[in-house]
Amino acid sequence: MSDLSCHENLRKNVQADFQIALAGNPNVGKSAIFNRLTGLSAITANYPGKTVELNIGVAKHKNHRIAIVDLPGTYGLDPVSEDQLVAKQALLFQNFAAVVVVVDATNLERNLYQVLQIIDLGVPVIIALNLVDCAARKGIAVDEHELEQILCVPVIPTVAITGAGLKHLLEEIVAVATRPPTDPETKTRFPYAYSELLDGLHQAVQEWDDLSATTRLPPGFCSRLIEGDTDIEAIMQRTLAGRKIVELARTFRTAIELKENQSTHVIFARERQRVAHQIAQTATRSIGMREEAAVLSRHYAVWPPTAIPLMFGVFIAAFGFMFFVGGFLSDLLGWFWASFVSPILQLVVYSTLRNDVLAKILLWGLDGGVLAALSVGIPFVLTFYLVLALLEDTGYLGNVAYVTDSLMRRLGLHGRSIIPLIMGLGCNVPAIMATRVLTTRRERLLASTLITLTPCSARIAVVLGAVAYFVGWQYALGIFLIDLAVIGVIGKALKLILPGDSAGLIMEMFPFRVPSLGSILKKTWFRFRAFVFLAFPIVTVGSVLLGGLYELGILRLLTEISGPVMYAILGLPAVAGIALLLGILRKELTLQLLVALAVMQYGASARSLTAFMSPAQLFVFALVVTLYFPCVATMSVLGRELGWKSTVAIMIGDITIALGIGAISFHALTFLQLF
Amino acid sequence: MQPDAAEGFSRLLYILCFETREIRVLVVRTTTAKMTRGEENQSETVEMYLQTIYRLKETHGSARTSSMASSLGVSMGAVTNTLASLEKQGLVQRRAYRGVDLTPRGETVALRVLRRHRLAERLLTEVLGMKWSEVHELACRLEHAMTDDVIEALEKLLRNPKTCPHGNPIPTSAGKIKQAKSKPLNKLKPTQKGILEKVVGEKADLLRYLASLGLVPGVSVRVEEKAPFDGPIIVNVRGSRYALGQQVASLIRVRRS
Repeated sequence: MSDLSCHENLRKNVQADFQIALAGNPNVGKSAIFNRLTGLSAITANYPGKTVELNIGVAKHKNHRIAIVDLPGTYGLDPVSEDQLVAKQALLFQNFAAVVVVVDATNLERNLYQVLQIIDLGVPVIIALNLVDCAARKGIAVDEHELEQILCVPVIPTVAITGAGLKHLLEEIVAVATRPPTDPETKTRFPYAYSELLDGLHQAVQEWDDLSATTRLPPGFCSRLIEGDTDIEAIMQRTLAGRKIVELARTFRTAIELKENQSTHVIFARERQRVAHQIAQTATRSIGMREEAAVLSRHYAVWPPTAIPLMFGVFIAAFGFMFFVGGFLSDLLGWFWASFVSPILQLVVYSTLRNDVLAKILLWGLDGGVLAALSVGIPFVLTFYLVLALLEDTGYLGNVAYVTDSLMRRLGLHGRSIIPLIMGLGCNVPAIMATRVLTTRRERLLASTLITLTPCSARIAVVLGAVAYFVGWQYALGIFLIDLAVIGVIGKALKLILPGDSAGLIMEMFPFRVPSLGSILKKTWFRFRAFVFLAFPIVTVGSVLLGGLYELGILRLLTEISGPVMYAILGLPAVAGIALLLGILRKELTLQLLVALAVMQYGASARSLTAFMSPAQLFVFALVVTLYFPCVATMSVLGRELGWKSTVAIMIGDITIALGIGAISFHALTFLQLF
Repeated sequence: MQPDAAEGFSRLLYILCFETREIRVLVVRTTTAKMTRGEENQSETVEMYLQTIYRLKETHGSARTSSMASSLGVSMGAVTNTLASLEKQGLVQRRAYRGVDLTPRGETVALRVLRRHRLAERLLTEVLGMKWSEVHELACRLEHAMTDDVIEALEKLLRNPKTCPHGNPIPTSAGKIKQAKSKPLNKLKPTQKGILEKVVGEKADLLRYLASLGLVPGVSVRVEEKAPFDGPIIVNVRGSRYALGQQVASLIRVRRS
């Protein structure tokens, strides 16, 4: 089918002998198998033409290099979100040498549905029957030989977290990928109803094949044509004969629909479910009882009287962990940098560059900039991702989505969007990328707007550093509460403004699992690596730029222009305006810059911010930093995901909100004379 | 069994047993059967139209000219013409932009045809052992060839079936149809079970997605949890647990089991 596709090949990303895909339902251990097979070498690449990122890695077996693409987890070939669409299109157009479908042995029937769909596409399939250990504990035994016989594809039992069976899997992959392609005619046919109709259509398709001189389309394509698969219709529409076949399929569709008072996709879904049920029944033996403890725990995790305290408990524990471990790491890093790295850097830069100003500017980037990125990145972002991976892998996040669904619906979203919002507390960039799991553009726009208002770790650092430290923790808490209220009001308002309705929550509730340390660490590392690649260049270059402005005295000029405006609206000193302006680069820079600028304007005594800013001013400053427009990295990811129009709208909205709320709180604080 | 009813019935069985696939023969027999038909002599076209309107309203909620044309395999113009004449006969009522409605009289005719159609389908699957996916077209022809007496006898022979092989209800001889009491999934209480009857709604990709999760007609669904304040529910479908928001759950219609 390769010559039919206009889709670029993914393989250009890595050097390999052949390329295979990992497909399967969500949460069946697909990523665990991927990690085991490819190690730390995996890269992330965008799917051609889409913003969805796929993990691609290389596995070596004997002297073969196998490129493995980890497709997003899906339940079938009928996508409702962009990541699912990518999984489907990759299976249709990427011409993989083999597709490993990872199957959950504890839930064979549901998983087989997708297996049947993929086999019908005519791609060479290998089944990794994963979680056989869990199945055994649950008293379920799957007979892999029986399954192999029925499906006519290799079935390999695996336990991804221990690595059992993976060597066998690799051998099978090589065997399947290197064997000559089989004629689709010999492919397994499943006993679906309407087989005569399908046969009739298949004959027409064969004639089309001969006419268009392509590789043969498998018989399984026909059912998808009758179901009205638009992707497959699109391929066929390109030739006259193909258009006739699509017409024919539509006639069949009308005939069947009239017969059964049902849409064809429901009929075929029911047929596939029926066949999957039969196969699962034949291949599965129940050998014991189920555990009761799991049933009880999953009830209490969603039953409001216990679920809500549990949720708050988990969040308090998570942030407590981040605060203490992150704080400790931050101190350790600061000490290390000041006593070892900084002196060496200064020595090297000053001795190589004769020019004092130039050296200073460079040091802004190398010394100050890198430290800024590290001191937020390592202590807060890294620990945040660690906690997030832990919550994800235990299966707890789904419960949070369930519990918060009613609340999120009031904001025009649904429970699943809580997960990107929580991720936004670490860094807005991956959070916005994570909105891809949401179904409609409206939901993504809503969620992304709310994410830009969610304080990321950098903004939390500013609030803690400026307000909690100098003014008092209760005021820092006040800022977070105001922010929460703003998110609520904006969400509510957007719900009313944006036309349409949320598609609603549809989410599988995964059973609780004991997470594997290796998988958590790897996930954390991949996310952190992506953050580092994104943040470091921006911060370093931005800091050099800033240093240049500062050392050349341009900043002072800007201060004089923006000063009166800043003072009139927000009651902030002129320097604060500059800090806010340059905070576009990275939000945490605002605080560092404020300290630096204070020293410059008011002398060394201003090192303590309270010397030149009143507590009320610090409060307003931190509040504005929390709300005003996102940093460069967030803007660029917003532009990529939602388009520039929406990005500019979000930016203008955020600035207006920030200035508005800032002005109100400044006047309220002055009026109340709280400080 | 009355003598002429018995004769009509045996003729039908003869058609079914020996000539089921010979549509032309069937049409000839149908015309013979027409002569033995009871009081109201509706033409086949009228019956087909009324039945189609009823079915379309049953499944899609409305019957539009375009969907009628594709269901009946005729042009839009033909549909418009026939509808105009049906309206004159007081069988249907056309409403601008909202499709066609059956008048009470039209509905009586539609239900009578539907009853014959669905009983004929039963006959074909149960007595003659044909596949339920193949009986619709044959039943379409047979429904016009059955007299009321034949139908009564057939119903008795099949031991009063309640539904057709596809699971749709069969109207009674009095012209009553018992729509299976389906209710939205979100109206079920925790621990209650139901059989999924259909998924309503217009977003095709959402329906497909639900189908890939195993939410297809006939599947048994058990409500496990229900969040307060119109929150989501958790359902168990063949061992998988899904959280469904209120909007989604209200699209899924179930029958209590």
